[in-house]
Amino acid sequence: MNNPTGHLVVWPERCRGCQSCRLACSFAKAGVFNPARSMIVMERDVQTERTAPMIKPIGCDLCGGKPVCADACEYEALVYEPSEDKSKIVVKQWEGASA
Amino acid sequence: MTRPSSWILHVDLSTGNVERTPVEAELNRSFLGGSGVGWTLVSKYLPPRVDPFSPENLISVNPGVLVGTLTPGTPKTTVITKFPTIAAEDGRHYIGESTGGSRYLGIALKRAGCHHLLITGKSPRPVYLRVRDGGADIVPADDLWGGGIEGVTNELIRREGAEAGVIAIGTAGENLVRHALTIIDKTNSLGRGGLGAVMGSKNLKAIVAIGTGEVEVARPGEFMEVSAALRNRVLEWPKRDHWIKLGLAAGWSTFKHTQYPGIWPKDRWDELYGEKTRMETVEDVIACNSCLLGCRLRWKTKGGEYDGEIGFGSPFSKSATSGMLLGVEDHRKMIHFVADANSRTGIDFYTTTRLIDFVTKMYEIGRLTKADTGGLELKREYPTYQKLYEMTVNREGFGDVLADGWIRLKREFGLDPQDYWYAGICKGVDFIYDARPSNFHPLMMTFFTRPRPHHGGSHTRTNSRNRTIEEIREQVERWGIPQEAVDRIFTEAPYTGKFNVGRYTRYMEDMMRVKNALGLCSIYTYQGLIFADDMAHLYNAATGEDLSPGDLVEHGERISNLAKLINVQEGFTRADDKVPEVWFRPMESPEGRIEMQDYYQTKVLAKEDVDRLLDDYYEERGWDPRTGQPTTERLEQLGLNE
Repeated sequence: MNNPTGHLVVWPERCRGCQSCRLACSFAKAGVFNPARSMIVMERDVQTERTAPMIKPIGCDLCGGKPVCADACEYEALVYEPSEDKSKIVVKQWEGASA
Repeated sequence: MTRPSSWILHVDLSTGNVERTPVEAELNRSFLGGSGVGWTLVSKYLPPRVDPFSPENLISVNPGVLVGTLTPGTPKTTVITKFPTIAAEDGRHYIGESTGGSRYLGIALKRAGCHHLLITGKSPRPVYLRVRDGGADIVPADDLWGGGIEGVTNELIRREGAEAGVIAIGTAGENLVRHALTIIDKTNSLGRGGLGAVMGSKNLKAIVAIGTGEVEVARPGEFMEVSAALRNRVLEWPKRDHWIKLGLAAGWSTFKHTQYPGIWPKDRWDELYGEKTRMETVEDVIACNSCLLGCRLRWKTKGGEYDGEIGFGSPFSKSATSGMLLGVEDHRKMIHFVADANSRTGIDFYTTTRLIDFVTKMYEIGRLTKADTGGLELKREYPTYQKLYEMTVNREGFGDVLADGWIRLKREFGLDPQDYWYAGICKGVDFIYDARPSNFHPLMMTFFTRPRPHHGGSHTRTNSRNRTIEEIREQVERWGIPQEAVDRIFTEAPYTGKFNVGRYTRYMEDMMRVKNALGLCSIYTYQGLIFADDMAHLYNAATGEDLSPGDLVEHGERISNLAKLINVQEGFTRADDKVPEVWFRPMESPEGRIEMQDYYQTKVLAKEDVDRLLDDYYEERGWDPRTGQPTTERLEQLGLNE
C-alpha cells in the first residue's frame, strides 16, 4: 500500500515512557537508533513523570500501512487501526484515566 | 560494518580539563566494552590505598554496550568507584561496580558519544557536570547545593531539556554520609555503599547527559532479527500481565516468606504490608529504555497523614522489612520514610533503618546511654527514628557516628555488627536479604565472595527457592562452559546437596560482569527470559564480533579477576569474605524456629559446610583457597599478568 489510510491511535495514559516507539521509528527511517530522528516527540510531565508519544504531523507515512512504532509499543499506547478515514492520528483517552 | 567506535570522556574536576579519546579496539575485544573497559580505566587511573574522599578517587560511568538500542531490557549504566563504606576495622575500602537502569541517562550518554565517563579530581566549588555531544562542561552549582534530589533533578531537566538524563545526590551525599547513594532520573537508585558521598567529596552535585547523536550497531538486520525474537519471547511470558501492573511490587506471596524478619506473625505482616496495601498504593509502572517489563513504580499514598504523597521507584519491599524490624505498623509512614530518602536526602534506607534498629535495641538493654547519644532517648517509635535519620543525614551529634556506619559503631562503642539480628553484615555492609528465611541460594554467596557486598545485578534463576534442577541446568548449559564444569556444579556433596552453590556462584558472578557490560537488566535472566546464548547473539550483531556464550563467560571471568586484583591491592583476602555470623543463629519467630538450610532444604548448614562451599568457589575460580586471591597461573591464562 503506497498511500495507506488509517488511524494511528495514541492512548497517552498507557505510555510507560520506554521510548521503544521512537527507537523503532528512527531505525526504520534512518537505520540507526536515535529518538531525534523519529517522527515521534515524547512529552514528559516532570512532576508526575508521565509521558506521552506525540506523532509529528508532517513526515509520518504510517510505514506503508504497518507502522513500526505501533508494533514496538507493547504497552498499547500506540495502536494502528486501518481505516478509510483520511485523518491519520487520533488521540484517545484511556477509559481508566482519571478526569 | 565494523564495531561502532566508542569513546572515553575524561573529566578532571581539579583542573577543569576535559579530554576525549577513542577506546582501543583490543581493549574492547578483551573486556567487552561498557563496564569491562570501565574497570581497565580504574586499573590505570586509581592509585592503590587512596582515601575514597580524596581527589585521587575516581568515578567510572559506563552505559552498557546495548544501551540505546531497541533490545528488551538493556537500559543499564554501571558505575565503578572506591566506596567509602568502612569495610574493615583497619579502615580498608573496597572498589566495586554498581548498576542502575534509566529512561533517560544511559541513552543520553550514548547519544553524546560518551561510552565511558571517567571523573577524577575535586572541584573547588559545587558544580554539576553536563555531558553533551562530543564533550562536557563543568557548570557552577552553588544554587543547587543543599537541594533535594528530586528538586535538583527537576531543575536540571528544566534547564537542559526534557530528554536530559540525571544522576543526582542529596544532602546525605553532600555531608559525606558513607551510605549515601545516588538516584538516576528520579526512578532508579545507584551506588549503595556510598557513591553519593564520593560525588559529594568532589563537590559534584549531579551528572547530566544531553546527547543528540545516534546509537549504531554493526549488523543492523541481524540485530533487529535477534531483538524481535527476544521481544516475542518476553511478550509470551505468562506472568507479564501481572508484572506490568505491579512491577517491583509484585511477588508478595514469595517475598513474605523469603524476606521475613521474624518478629510479627506472617498473617499480621500480610495485613499491614501485604498485597492489599500494594494494590492500593501503586498507580502504574514506569519502564526503563526499551523495557517490556516496566518495574519502577509511580505510587500514591491513600489516607493517613501522608495522604496524596506521590513518588517513583519501589518503596514496598524496603518499607515492609524495615517496618517490621522497627515495629511501625502504618505502611504509609514507612513509605514516606523511603520516599524522603530517595527524593530528598539520598541516603541508603536499608542501612539507615537497620542501624537505627540496632542502636535502639542497644539503648534498651543499656549498652548505649544518653551520654553516648548526646542526651537523646532512643525510643522505639517513629518520631525518634525520624530524628535519628535527620541527625545521620546532617552528621549531627550521635548521627555523626551513624553516618560512618557499622564499623564506626564498633570502634566508638564496642558494638559488634555481627550481633545484629537480621540479614547479616559483611565488609561493613548490611545485606538486604537474610539467608535463613530465604535459604542459602547463590546470591547469598555473592554477598560475601564479591569485593562489593551487594547483588549488583547478579540475579539468576536461582534467586527464587526451589527452582528445579532442570531449570538451573538449562541456564548453566546455555552459559557454554565446559561439560566438566557443568558436572561439578551438579555433583552431589554432603555439605550442599545435589546443587553446588559454591561452584555455581563463580559463573553467576562472571555472568553479572557480562550483563553489566552489555547493560542487560538481571530481571530478564532471573525470570529465564534471556540466556547467555541470546546475549552472545545480541552482542555479536551489535559489535560485529563472533563470540560464543562460553567466550562471554571467559570475558566476564577476566573482568571479575581484574576487579578482584584491584581489591587485593587494597589488602583484601579470604579473611574478609566472611559469612555473617547471624546466619548460623536460628531465627526464633512467631512462625517457629527458622534456620539456614541448603538450596533444596535438605539440611541445616553449619559453618564448616559454608567453608567447604567457599573452598569450592575459589577452586572453581582457579584461585588460592588459602588466601582467596587469584593465582599467577590463572592471571596469565586470562592475559592479566601485567
